Amino acid sequence: MKVSGERDFQAPRETVWQVLNDPAQMAKTMPGVESFDIQDDRHWRAHVKIPLGLGGLRMSIDFEKMEEREPEFAKLHAKGNGVGAVLNMDTSFNLSEAGDGTNMKWEAEVHLLGPVASMGQRVLQPIVNQQVSHVLGALDKQVQEAKAG
Amino acid sequence: MTETTVTPERPLVVEEGDVKPGFIGQSVPRKEDKRLVQGEGVFFDDVKRHEMGYVHFVRSPYAHARIKSVDVSKALELDGVYGTLTGDEVAILTDPFFELSTPPGANIKDYALAVGRVRHVGDPVAAVVARTRELARDAAELVEVEYEPLPHVLDGEESLKDEVVLHEDAGSNTVWSGVFDWGDFDAALVDADHVVRIERLHFDRFSSTPLECSGCLVEYNRGTGQWTIHGNHQMPGVGAIWMAPALRVGIDKLRFVSQDIGGGFGNKITLHPQYTACCLLARKLNRPVQWTEWRTDQHTANTHGNERTFLDVTVPVKADGTMLGFSVRAIDDCGAFPRYEPLGCIIWAQVTPGCYRWRNVRVDFTQVCTNKSPVAPNRGYSRMQHLWLTERIVDIVAGELGLDPIEVRKKNYVKHEEFPYETPNGCIYDSGDYARCLDIALDLVGYDSLEEKRREAESRGKLFGIGIGSTLDSGTNNFGQSMILNPELQFSGNNEVATVKLDIFGEIVVTLGTVPQGQGHETTASQVVAEILGCTPDEVNVRAGHDTYWNSTAGFSGTYASQFAVTGLGAVKGATEKLAGEMRQLAAAVFGCSPDDIELVESQARIKGNPEAALPFMALGAILNANNAGLPTDLDVTLNVRHVYRPPFEKPDLERKYGNLTLTYATQIHACALEIDAETGVYEIVDYAAVDDCGNRIHPQIVEGQVHGATAQALGAATHEIFTYDEEGNLLTPNFYDYHVPHALDMPPMKTGFIESTSPFTPLGAKGMGEGGGAGIHAVCAALQNALGRRGEGPIVWRSCNPYESVWDLLQKPEETRKLVSVESR
Repeated sequence: MKVSGERDFQAPRETVWQVLNDPAQMAKTMPGVESFDIQDDRHWRAHVKIPLGLGGLRMSIDFEKMEEREPEFAKLHAKGNGVGAVLNMDTSFNLSEAGDGTNMKWEAEVHLLGPVASMGQRVLQPIVNQQVSHVLGALDKQVQEAKAG
Repeated sequence: MTETTVTPERPLVVEEGDVKPGFIGQSVPRKEDKRLVQGEGVFFDDVKRHEMGYVHFVRSPYAHARIKSVDVSKALELDGVYGTLTGDEVAILTDPFFELSTPPGANIKDYALAVGRVRHVGDPVAAVVARTRELARDAAELVEVEYEPLPHVLDGEESLKDEVVLHEDAGSNTVWSGVFDWGDFDAALVDADHVVRIERLHFDRFSSTPLECSGCLVEYNRGTGQWTIHGNHQMPGVGAIWMAPALRVGIDKLRFVSQDIGGGFGNKITLHPQYTACCLLARKLNRPVQWTEWRTDQHTANTHGNERTFLDVTVPVKADGTMLGFSVRAIDDCGAFPRYEPLGCIIWAQVTPGCYRWRNVRVDFTQVCTNKSPVAPNRGYSRMQHLWLTERIVDIVAGELGLDPIEVRKKNYVKHEEFPYETPNGCIYDSGDYARCLDIALDLVGYDSLEEKRREAESRGKLFGIGIGSTLDSGTNNFGQSMILNPELQFSGNNEVATVKLDIFGEIVVTLGTVPQGQGHETTASQVVAEILGCTPDEVNVRAGHDTYWNSTAGFSGTYASQFAVTGLGAVKGATEKLAGEMRQLAAAVFGCSPDDIELVESQARIKGNPEAALPFMALGAILNANNAGLPTDLDVTLNVRHVYRPPFEKPDLERKYGNLTLTYATQIHACALEIDAETGVYEIVDYAAVDDCGNRIHPQIVEGQVHGATAQALGAATHEIFTYDEEGNLLTPNFYDYHVPHALDMPPMKTGFIESTSPFTPLGAKGMGEGGGAGIHAVCAALQNALGRRGEGPIVWRSCNPYESVWDLLQKPEETRKLVSVESR
């Protein structure tokens, strides 16, 4: 499944870049994070409980930063293992200056395997849309907090 | 009489005498129904043992991946977990299962659990045993498996390229390939006035769905080294042939037991991997273990029906509509492991020309593995796909040449007077009258008023169509056909066993070698016995179910391939006739007369013409078993006889791929009338008729039940049952939420009819008919085709399953499928 979008932030590009590249701040944007471990500046791991239908899908997700061109582009790979599901995701974003603010174009390719993928396909798209909306909202909040100092 | 099953008012077209004497041919009350209806059946999951453990399989989320590690330690730490089994253990403790194919398929290594690599989503990589079913499932989630994903292939044609190879040992995805060439197809092409070409047809993947999922309870006896498997395997004889060598034991170390089974349809023929894993666990843990398959697991990773693509179909036709044969390239997708395959590569040849007099047939057949669930002999196995092809050929040819599909069928059908009819590949169609069955079906759906119905439907904005499906249910396999695929296989003929005895209190006890799953074997066996012995079916006790230890099994024992009416009842008839002979001998010894003077009537052995000189069966049983002093010393009577029925088969001619592959051919002619909403593609079956000819019917109501079931199976397959995979190899229809099996309310108004063409080759003149031939699948396709367009116009229905959205696609882009067909006229 491919998802993509665009978002404007009322903050300088450096601030947005800083938030997006700080695992600790990013962790606050992700839904259902129960714990977060930073292994080094390119690798971190999150234990999450993703809301899915009537239940939650617990997953351990390893993030790896694959590529970065500060302050405009970064690409991450995420691999998650959970009960009945394996997640593989490649995501990237492009930041550009837009007046006083910053424009972010992002895209993600999500591959979900296992029984959850089999049974959940019909409900997956709305859930992904909902979670993306949640992440972007939380990200905006983090950016504003960072801007405020 | 015990509780009765009421025979409903029947809409049958009775072609033969209304009432027959005796019990054969009567819808007597079914012996099985009381316990089944009252919930007193015993299925494998009803069997429990003290301290038993429950098995749950850990399954692959990947379509194709290397297994880097399997860590069961966290699962084992859980209180109540008894133990685990991994692929590494399986590889040490067992040998790969025997493969039926020649190379490359012969080199595939198939184990009870995945060893080194997973090859489809749901492939079992480990098993966990725990105190409860739920705990086993929870513990399975703690098993950590590290995978290295590999590229996968999900399409049969792509698989042929071998860019991704599933089985390194085989070196190719091709399991088996071969060319079948009968008659002179090239000469037929020269003789033809028209040549119709169809670029592509596709038979979709689906499965008949048993109410009861698969499973077993396995006990291991450490003292004797024997396993007892309470399960629902429907072909235990062959199951043991797979399992015993893999487990490195003799066949007698495996005892298969079943009483009631909730449907099989072929899904339960290839349970040997799961059963072997359970045998290993029962031995390792020294406790009984039970595995009950979840529905999602059944759909994801047990068995599907074969998926088949037909390419480059070429049909030479004379100007008058006579078809001379066809050629085709068939690619059969058997999923990740062949298991029962490549038998599907020859089974279709039982019905090579379908119902038709086609003499020139060339089939280039290839079977490949893909990263999907393995297949098994799904009801109508392999013939259903092929018969759908022959029927598509008839309708597409008729449509393209502007011929009436009814008349084309009648012109090309094998004629009634031509039976027994030898097909181009040496199969003998025993009896039938296809044109007569077609007339009955047409009459039932009011074919005479077809145009009126069409106009009326069109006035409501609907597209009206009618279609025919003509199929054969070939029954009683000659296993010698396997040698056409692999000459080294040592299988041929067929056999089935029954024992019949007269016990001390005069009780007649019958033991069958079959494994009934709802077909009414107890009832029909009792009818045959009662007819021969001159008693009533109520006096005949047929043991329920199957037990290898009953000494009433043979190598091919089981319930499959539409054969009980022939092999099972043939064995019952043979055994009962032997018993009747012994009863006459015993009575004659008592009366001091000749056995020829004794008749068996009214549950007595008596001297003909002298009803006073009679011995009740109870007296015969008591004399032999408990009061036998004084009997002549040369009286060789046990009143306990065993008979093995062997159908009259020869080994096929392997060079010509020629021979009689099955004994009987039941006919199904279905007619379907439907209406399509042109705006949405939604369609409704508005009238339906199924006409069956299975020779002499032993129990008409059971026959009609099978006709209803086979029709439901076919309509599901034609309209919405399909196993759909996403690009990652995830099955998107893994349970009843997404995979809809027809309910009673989904069934259209249905009329049934029959004729009885006695088989000249079988003990009772009956034919197997339990599978149906998938006639309904084609009847729906043909009706859709008929509704969507007339000659040379409109789309081509090229897939077997056509859900509403597919019909909408056909309506929107008719040119995309129309280009699949071309006609060369001379």
